[in-house]
Amino acid sequence: MILVAFAVTAIAAIVLIALSRTHRQMNAAAIGQAIVFMAIATWILFFVQVPVDTFIVGSGYFFIDHLGLLEVLVATFIFVLAAVYAQGYVGNLLASHELEAGSLRLFYAAWCLLELMIVLAFFSDNLALFWIFAELTTVISAMLIAILSARENIDAALKYIFVASVAMIFAFVGLIFLFEITRSALGAGTLNWTALMAHASSFPPEMTVAAFLFIFIGFAAKSGIFPFHTWLPEAHAKAPSAVSAVLSGVLLNVGIYGIIRVFAVVHQTAAAAIVTPVLLLFGIFSIAIAAISMLPEKNLKKLIAFSSIENMGLMLVGIAVATPLAIFWVLVQVIAHALTKASLFFSAGILHRQYRSHLSADAPDDMYDVFRFQPLAAWGIILGGLAIIGMPPFLAFFSKFFILLSLDSLSPWVLAIVLVLIFIAASAIGFFVISTFGRTTPPGETCDLVPYRTPLSMKAPIVILLALVLALGLMFPAGGYAFITQIVMELRFA
Amino acid sequence: MSDPAFFDGIVKILFVCVIVTSAYIITTKNLISLVRVYALQSLALMAIALSLAWYENSAILLAIAILTLVFKVILIPYFIATVQEKIRIKRDIEFHFLSPTSSLLISLALMIVIYITLSHVLSDTLAKGSLFFFGAVIGISLVLMGMMVTFSRKRAITKVLGYLSMENGVLLFGLFATELPFIIEFLIVIDLVILILLTTILTVGIDSTLEEYHNRLHRFYLWEEQEESP
Repeated sequence: MILVAFAVTAIAAIVLIALSRTHRQMNAAAIGQAIVFMAIATWILFFVQVPVDTFIVGSGYFFIDHLGLLEVLVATFIFVLAAVYAQGYVGNLLASHELEAGSLRLFYAAWCLLELMIVLAFFSDNLALFWIFAELTTVISAMLIAILSARENIDAALKYIFVASVAMIFAFVGLIFLFEITRSALGAGTLNWTALMAHASSFPPEMTVAAFLFIFIGFAAKSGIFPFHTWLPEAHAKAPSAVSAVLSGVLLNVGIYGIIRVFAVVHQTAAAAIVTPVLLLFGIFSIAIAAISMLPEKNLKKLIAFSSIENMGLMLVGIAVATPLAIFWVLVQVIAHALTKASLFFSAGILHRQYRSHLSADAPDDMYDVFRFQPLAAWGIILGGLAIIGMPPFLAFFSKFFILLSLDSLSPWVLAIVLVLIFIAASAIGFFVISTFGRTTPPGETCDLVPYRTPLSMKAPIVILLALVLALGLMFPAGGYAFITQIVMELRFA
Repeated sequence: MSDPAFFDGIVKILFVCVIVTSAYIITTKNLISLVRVYALQSLALMAIALSLAWYENSAILLAIAILTLVFKVILIPYFIATVQEKIRIKRDIEFHFLSPTSSLLISLALMIVIYITLSHVLSDTLAKGSLFFFGAVIGISLVLMGMMVTFSRKRAITKVLGYLSMENGVLLFGLFATELPFIIEFLIVIDLVILILLTTILTVGIDSTLEEYHNRLHRFYLWEEQEESP
């Protein structure tokens, strides 16, 4: 019944958008949907006995467990803030004719549909069903990228669709393998995650390795892991910032979520010994590629996008370590990364509005006098940057610290390499901030830039997100601790 | 009537058809025949599903054959052909990294590699040399060959056909590798996904090629002018 509530809300929102005439009405519908979604998710958190697996009786297509619920809570929260942010941001896109008024309705309809698809993906028990919803999120989010009437956006969206969909085909081949494994091991084939978890120990290792590797290709492409990351910087940099925040904070989690789920199954078989080094290797390569690409990067949104790749790589490394402690902190890192990265893209969006005349998609950012024009966005980038590189009071510090600490048990050498790479990535962000934000117009010259009046709807989400990341870092609630421990138990890493 | 040897022969002939069509998709420059060949490949797949259905007496396989016929032989090729007519691009002569000959050689090598790998992986479930093993090998080869098309061609529409041919490979692999009571549940949705995918690419992506096309004409015209003026 809960899923029906989600679906009905989304349909109602889309109908409202179809009927409404002004941007404000459409945006209100999107905000309304996001708030209702978050309310339902919070209601499940407090009043429903999780895990639930009886939505469509007897079929076992959907279920709600703690991991899915955590992801949905993070996703809906970011969607609420992104929808609020979109009010000012998309309004300005319209005013500057970067977004045509005709495609506004399509934009918000796709937005609402995307949120529904993401929630359904996180609540899928059947892996094939999850695959379909993940694939749908690719298509819909590519639409959101391509909606700006610029040639580069279309190219970025096409690249995203082709890289992600082609990789996802491999994931489907992997799912067929998995189905065949269960058929020969259990008699009747199944792709239900709960059934897979229950019988994983009887799976033959060779086939399981093959199945996992195929599935990994698909979900790695969804989450921007090297070598399938090529779509990510362009897509994230060229999408409207409200969409970038969702892409980076929510959609990348879909891929990592899939990897965690499938790895939880594989972890119980003998195949884990072969799979772990693969995960570790791809994780380290992702961090390395991201860190090296970040160093010379002069475009703020691309820099933030590469930092996403780095964080995804670190999560993959944490998953490869696969101790209960590591998995726990990987999940915290998922939360920390999603919240921080959304705030960074929000801040970058404000700067993008301010300096848009100078900002073509690939050109280096030509910013000056940031503190005079956009002090909040500038501080948003600085504090968000500190948070994402893992400076102490923020939440990401603890997750990164403990992932690295548990990596030490695997191999100190790998730890050293990862540490150096993370340091490079952090210094790249620091270098960008120092070299760009310090620029001012010389005293004699006049500055002809008109300050962009940032509406409150664009400022508030940044402040809320940064405050939340800081508060969670200072005192992580005991309930949250128990909740994530429960997830680790359910994934059977403990 | 279900004589195993006869069935064996028929399916093998259809396999050859599938391979020939995919070789054609890799090498051809003519976009219109590309779509027709894709339809032909889907038809061969449908025939395989049909003969399997007849051999195993399975209603699900029959349903898959019908779905394939409706979507992949008729609707999607028709859709693409309509769009092609609109944007008036007849040929895709730009091969990114690979020339037709080398891509043929690479796909040959791919098939051999897949044969060897699969005979290791599937050794405990399927007898090597059986029809089902061949089906799995050709299915995965088709996936990889489709991927080659997707990444080595420049036009969005050729990439779409590469993707569709990959999807055909998955269907073939699914038909033979496992007993698929489940595929029917998802094939419908997968086809839907592809349709949605197509529509986005077509509303969005084809515009981009159209723009490129106009740009090039424009540039060509300008260039000619410059030639004449001095």
